[in-house]
Amino acid sequence: MTSTRFDLTRIPVVKRIVTGRWLQWLAVTVALSFFFLAVLAGLFGTPAGNRNFGIVFVWIVWWALVIMLMVPFAGRLWCAVCPIPAPGEWLQRRALVQPRPGARLYTLGLKWPKWLNNMWFQNGAFLGVALFSAVILTTPFITGVVLALFVLVALGTSLLFERRTFCRYLCPVGGFIGLYSQVAPVEVRVKDRAVCVSHKDKSCYQGSEAGYGCPWLVFPGALQKNTYCGMCMECLKTCPLDNVAVYVRPFGADLQIDSGRRLDEAYKGFIMLTCALAYSVVLIGPWSILKETAFAVGTPAWFAYALTFLVANLALIPGMFYGCVRLAQKIGPTSTPTGKLLVEYAYALVPLGLAAWAAFSLSFILVNLSYAWPVLSDPFGWGWNLFGTAAWGWTPYGAGLVPSLQVPVLIAGLLAAMAYAVRTARVQRVTQWAALPIILFCTMFTVALLWLYIG
Amino acid sequence: MRSERIALGLVVVMMISLPLLVFGYQALRSNIPDMRVIDLVGYAPASGGWQPETIRVELGEWVRLRIYGQDVVHGLAVPALNIDVPEILPGHVEEVEFLANRAGRFPFACIRWCSTDHWRMRGMIEVVDPAQPNPWKAGTAEPPLFQQLHLDPDAMRTPVAGLPGRPSASRGSALTVGLPGELHDQDWLRAHSPAETFARLRRDASLRPLSDTEIWDLVASAWQKETPAETLRQGQQLYARDCAACHGEAGQGDGPAGRDLPGIATMHPGMASGPTNFTVTANMFSASDALLQGKVLRGGMGTGMPEWGSLYSNEELWAVVSFLRTFGFDVSPAK
Repeated sequence: MTSTRFDLTRIPVVKRIVTGRWLQWLAVTVALSFFFLAVLAGLFGTPAGNRNFGIVFVWIVWWALVIMLMVPFAGRLWCAVCPIPAPGEWLQRRALVQPRPGARLYTLGLKWPKWLNNMWFQNGAFLGVALFSAVILTTPFITGVVLALFVLVALGTSLLFERRTFCRYLCPVGGFIGLYSQVAPVEVRVKDRAVCVSHKDKSCYQGSEAGYGCPWLVFPGALQKNTYCGMCMECLKTCPLDNVAVYVRPFGADLQIDSGRRLDEAYKGFIMLTCALAYSVVLIGPWSILKETAFAVGTPAWFAYALTFLVANLALIPGMFYGCVRLAQKIGPTSTPTGKLLVEYAYALVPLGLAAWAAFSLSFILVNLSYAWPVLSDPFGWGWNLFGTAAWGWTPYGAGLVPSLQVPVLIAGLLAAMAYAVRTARVQRVTQWAALPIILFCTMFTVALLWLYIG
Repeated sequence: MRSERIALGLVVVMMISLPLLVFGYQALRSNIPDMRVIDLVGYAPASGGWQPETIRVELGEWVRLRIYGQDVVHGLAVPALNIDVPEILPGHVEEVEFLANRAGRFPFACIRWCSTDHWRMRGMIEVVDPAQPNPWKAGTAEPPLFQQLHLDPDAMRTPVAGLPGRPSASRGSALTVGLPGELHDQDWLRAHSPAETFARLRRDASLRPLSDTEIWDLVASAWQKETPAETLRQGQQLYARDCAACHGEAGQGDGPAGRDLPGIATMHPGMASGPTNFTVTANMFSASDALLQGKVLRGGMGTGMPEWGSLYSNEELWAVVSFLRTFGFDVSPAK
């Protein structure tokens, strides 16, 4: 807990919003209607991606909102309004807005297996989506199918398992949002832990007449990081002691907390970092053969690409990082086992990876954002012109600005990663020079991206 | 509970009304009084070509074609109905209207080089008169000239030997000699190859003092005099649109779309494969315009050369054939 936090719920209007239910429900419902439209457009609209609402609004507009604004500045705010789990959750609760005290939940209420109580499944799910991303991101029909599958799997999961098991353990998007939301300057935390300790009912976890127990299976009284808090604000509604608040805090505050670091989360960091590099190379790099191969799903060349992609994600980049950690150990010998030290240092990849994704996204978001206007008027590519914008041509916004935005973003990410690495060395009580291999790793990665983006 | 019902109602309304609104509005757009709206979807030939391939409308109907580009840039021409949509971008919808005011079968085709199989992207608009449901039986029109002359477009021809270079129409015009009457007859010229025309002139006693080069210049000059400049312009446009991708911009048979085509070697092993090189005058001068008309009209029977007879009017056919001659004859003005 830092003292440099500001309790946003001290502002009456904020308090009303986060403890009320209607506004959040409305936001989810609006998001759901956009989502539904994206699925319909994907399944029935034009196969030309740049004229299909499903592609343009999901992979350009939504992605821009999430990776450029929500995650870095508001953490898991997207999860608070995400429409994917909404139908399942409504069905499970048999209520859309107000809780039904004492009512039986419409679910078998199974518990997620303990051995899967981690991010590994999400790591695999993300890699699975990432392998086919060249096709998913550009083919409206596939996008429509994937989005519909997300909702169906979330619905099925909510019928079988307790609470928001899908969001916590399965959602491929939720995993990286959670990892990177550690950087965000917003958090939901209890005001005074002692109050939670002495409160026997633990209504924030168990639920009460005022609301449901934490849907994300987190006990807010012990919450230290944003990673698994879905910012659904349920605990603000259920705490009878008004002991939960939404705080504004310094960027990256969660990275200062030296407990609870895990290999599955470290691997999420490796995967996200590798994917940012791989996407930059394949999708916007100068090697068109790679892009063509990524599209040619099922061909021998694609299998070679897939194997390379998986090896890079699961072995090559983690292996290189492992080598750097071994070097760090040589420079500053410590009693911490190498595996544990690897996990500790791997969190340097959180700001680095977030910056890499932001820089990568900048390369196509501004340039392609103008596709949103014609698609608003003609979401299915059927020749409509609802708002008179159907004929608006493609205009790359701020194309010249992109490199000058990418460079500071990448440098900021690198500096934060370096600072984290040095801090980790200090925490390990070894010379700060021990962080040098990690810093070199992060620098090489940044230089590679800078070369790709601004050559 | 009341608020729950309102929320549930809103969600249900949204889930039901959204598809209803989407598909209802689209259906409404197709329901235009006194207008038949037909969706025509363009895919590259490997993915299906035009869908539907055949459009049937009734005589007297006003028709709106809503043309969707689905994958790459296409274009659409229905020459007989004066429909010309030069560019249909992927994801864009172009609309054209026409009045089906005469019965018949009107071919349409993609007019942008959308893929290597671009020329296969064709279809047919059938305008049916309910009172006379099958008016387009074969044999009612006059057969094309190459058929009237019993020319075989696939027959081997002997290349012309001893050509002096590129015959010049302006040099020929500068020669103050009288030409035999048949050389002022367009039909005669079309029926005879340049080599035959040359032979005719060479036999003429009054032209005996002229060299072979000068006789060839006279052949070029005679051809140019019977070929209006407007015809050449039209032929040039059609050549650029429909022929250049395979035969090359300069007619040398080196267009990018023709690289893998078998060409005449299919029928005559030993001949060069690929699209015909129109600048090889030894071959071109042995073929009459009528023969070239047959080749263009009918296509190449396995050579990769598409048929254009269903798309071109008679005038357009002759325009293209005339333009092909400019690769052999120098028609630039006198220097």
